[in-house]
Amino acid sequence: MSRLDSPRYTFVFAAVMCVVCAALVSVAAVSLAPRQKANARLYMEKNVLVAAGLVKPGQDVSLADVERVFQADITVRLVDFATGRLLPADGANARDYDQRAARADPAASREAPANDAGIKRIASKGIVYFVKKGGQVDQVVISVEGLGMWGTIYGFLALDKDAVTVRGITYYDHRETPGLGGEIGNPAWQAMWKGRKGYDDRGNARITVIKGQAGAPETDPLSVDGLSGATITSNAVTRLMRFWLSESGYGRFLTRFREKKEVL
Amino acid sequence: MKALETLLARAAPHFEPGGKLARFHAIFEATDTFLMTPPSVTRGASHVRDAIDLKRMMTIVVIAMLPCVFMAMYNTGLQANLALDPIKLATLAGWRHDIMRWLGFGYDARSLAQCLFHGSLYFLPLYAVTLAVGGFWEVLFAVVRRHEINEGFLVTSMIFPLTLPATAPLWQAALGITFGVVVAKEVFGGTGMNFLNPALAGRAFMFFAYPADISGDTVWVAMYGVNAVDGFSGATLLAKMRSFTEPFNDAAADMSWATAFLGFEPGSMGETSALACLIGAAILIVTRVGSWRIMAGVAIGTVAMALLFNAIGSKTNHWFAMPFWWHMVLGGWAFGTAFMATDPVTAPFTDKGRWIYGIGIGALIVTIRVLNPAYPESVFLVILFMNVMSPLIDYGLVRGNIQRRKRRVQA
Amino acid sequence: MSAVTPSAFGKRERAALLDPILTNNPIGVQVLGICSALAVTTRIDKALVMGAGVILVTMLANLAVSLVRNHTPGSIRIIVQLSIIASLVIVFDQILKATLYELSLELSVFVGLIITNCIVMGRAEGYAMQNPPLASLMDGLGNGLGYALVLFLVALLRELFGAGKVFGFVVLPLAKNGGWYVPNGLMLLAPSGLLIIAGLIWLLRTLKPELQEKD
Repeated sequence: MSRLDSPRYTFVFAAVMCVVCAALVSVAAVSLAPRQKANARLYMEKNVLVAAGLVKPGQDVSLADVERVFQADITVRLVDFATGRLLPADGANARDYDQRAARADPAASREAPANDAGIKRIASKGIVYFVKKGGQVDQVVISVEGLGMWGTIYGFLALDKDAVTVRGITYYDHRETPGLGGEIGNPAWQAMWKGRKGYDDRGNARITVIKGQAGAPETDPLSVDGLSGATITSNAVTRLMRFWLSESGYGRFLTRFREKKEVL
Repeated sequence: MKALETLLARAAPHFEPGGKLARFHAIFEATDTFLMTPPSVTRGASHVRDAIDLKRMMTIVVIAMLPCVFMAMYNTGLQANLALDPIKLATLAGWRHDIMRWLGFGYDARSLAQCLFHGSLYFLPLYAVTLAVGGFWEVLFAVVRRHEINEGFLVTSMIFPLTLPATAPLWQAALGITFGVVVAKEVFGGTGMNFLNPALAGRAFMFFAYPADISGDTVWVAMYGVNAVDGFSGATLLAKMRSFTEPFNDAAADMSWATAFLGFEPGSMGETSALACLIGAAILIVTRVGSWRIMAGVAIGTVAMALLFNAIGSKTNHWFAMPFWWHMVLGGWAFGTAFMATDPVTAPFTDKGRWIYGIGIGALIVTIRVLNPAYPESVFLVILFMNVMSPLIDYGLVRGNIQRRKRRVQA
Repeated sequence: MSAVTPSAFGKRERAALLDPILTNNPIGVQVLGICSALAVTTRIDKALVMGAGVILVTMLANLAVSLVRNHTPGSIRIIVQLSIIASLVIVFDQILKATLYELSLELSVFVGLIITNCIVMGRAEGYAMQNPPLASLMDGLGNGLGYALVLFLVALLRELFGAGKVFGFVVLPLAKNGGWYVPNGLMLLAPSGLLIIAGLIWLLRTLKPELQEKD
């Protein structure tokens, strides 16, 4: 038959195809990479603002909006989980720190202390967002994660400057059953966390998602309304919150912060 | 009686092919055979893949379920009466309580009649809705598709409400039975052609569509939070197991095995009493309507799997320690084994297949209860799963038989 | 040379564009590509973005395959088609991540899985290898539209009954937010996609009895 079937032509044709396709893919990947990275950071930072109550859930915010708030009112720092100390602000930009990626990197993570939140490894450093108001620190936002019923739940917890009172939470990535455990993504339920206390009077992380309804935050500060029909997810949230508030997570840092040993 | 017979006989020609009411032959036929002996009856064992190929078979299944119906009404009323705070009785609102007051019935948990009546106000509406809505679809498809209305629906419509919690909203039950009849049965060509049990498919639909109303810890007892006695918990034992902090034993269960066996516990209406199901199973086995092989298979599978888990043991998962005699009285085990696994349409057709099918159901029920904390009430899902497997089981067995005979002929 | 001008928009092109939308719908009639239809149809916006992805990829893949069809060695034609499709899908995925980041997170792997969508590969091998570029382009567009149409219908039903919303706007106010509608949780689970598609196929076959197989 014709030239189409000669081995030489086939190889040449395949090579040309490969080069064309590879060029197409590379150009797209390389030229779009900066925007993708900005988007990924925007997504995380938007959720930080949601937890801190500066952005309403579902509200459409642009890159510029988030950038403005971050420039004006937010300082991002890293904390060493082992010592509870803030790391020096110099060097790499803390805003670009990816805690999820760090957890997967053996050099930047370690085995998690024994826990019931289903956490196997944790990053050595944790990200902390200081939300300022009139130049003073008003809230501290930390990153939380833990095993839910069907997969890992990721979220942010915003604490008041007393490092005890909850100002807001958000769970931005989870695989819980829609309608049951999936209600942890419901802003109405997340709003119930406001005013609760992460720690009891003796400084133990005791916040609990209970069965049934909790009282008002003033009278029943350590409980949050349970999700009906979702005992496993409710317990998972309790455990992961307690883990990150405890000394295994941000506990050491939050204690030092409360005692004014860590200041910006 | 004679007059009725003449009336039916005179009406018959209109419904025959060519008659002016031929389209509604199905409705006529159903009325006729329900009232009179059908002109043609099946003689001897039928080999048609059909749920109830004899009207009598269907009647026996319904009779076998009557103890469960009785217990469903009594226990629903009992649990509700136990849970109601006597001080707040006067504040109870709703049509059920209006009827109770109007007829002068009280809420005494010790009175059989008062419990039975209170419970019937929950069971009967669900049953009526099931019959009306499911029956509507049956008739509609029978008329459009020109096939006969099958009595199998009377069984389906009785099983379905028994698998629901007493508090299931009526409109959800209507959607559930619609799904069961239309999607699980009529789509595949009607009774005998379905590979899923319609009642169970309807129940599964409700479980996934409205999980908050059909699972969890607030739906099993027919009362509403505000009027409950302090410290009352309506969760089923299977759901409570999740929060156990020590291996399973009678003390941790907070209930004696006998109570669970008799069925005085929260749960889906018809499933709580293993005793009532046992009576039903005995009737089905003696009359040879239900396959004893399937029921024995489920029991064997359950015992074997439970013993295996007991032997393995686990420090963190307290389900491992649950003995098989508890597995058999909790959740839908007894009801499922007696009435749902034995549905002849959706179970395998071969005797050996029935053993495999039964053992598979028993083993899977225990496995899911122990290993998957998301579905403690897993019986109906397991039976649906094995429904899907049963044609495969039959196919494999028949092929194996053919191969063996071939070899024998060749040898 | 025959009188047929291969590049003009003629009868063949119109048929290539319109047939797959209704009469020969890839999902409804050929039952292809339903895997992604289950995963991305919980919300209309997700379904539309996915539909747009498949439209673009089938269109451009058909065009590219058709352009090189007379130069492609038969022995490696499947690999050639696959490289073209894969490249297009990756490019689309990259663009999505750069523009609609949150949607791309929700669509996760399913955009990448367009590569394995039987419709794309089927049209490239079954149509574009034998037909001129314009007709192939139209065929790709038609099949993509047919796919997107079904996805849209499924997503419309799922979002409406599963969350009480259409395009994210509340249509049926939910009971838990003070309205009256109790959402159907099954609609948010993948099997409901299968049930709705089955329902659509049932409807289609009832309306067009010629689609039913003789048995």
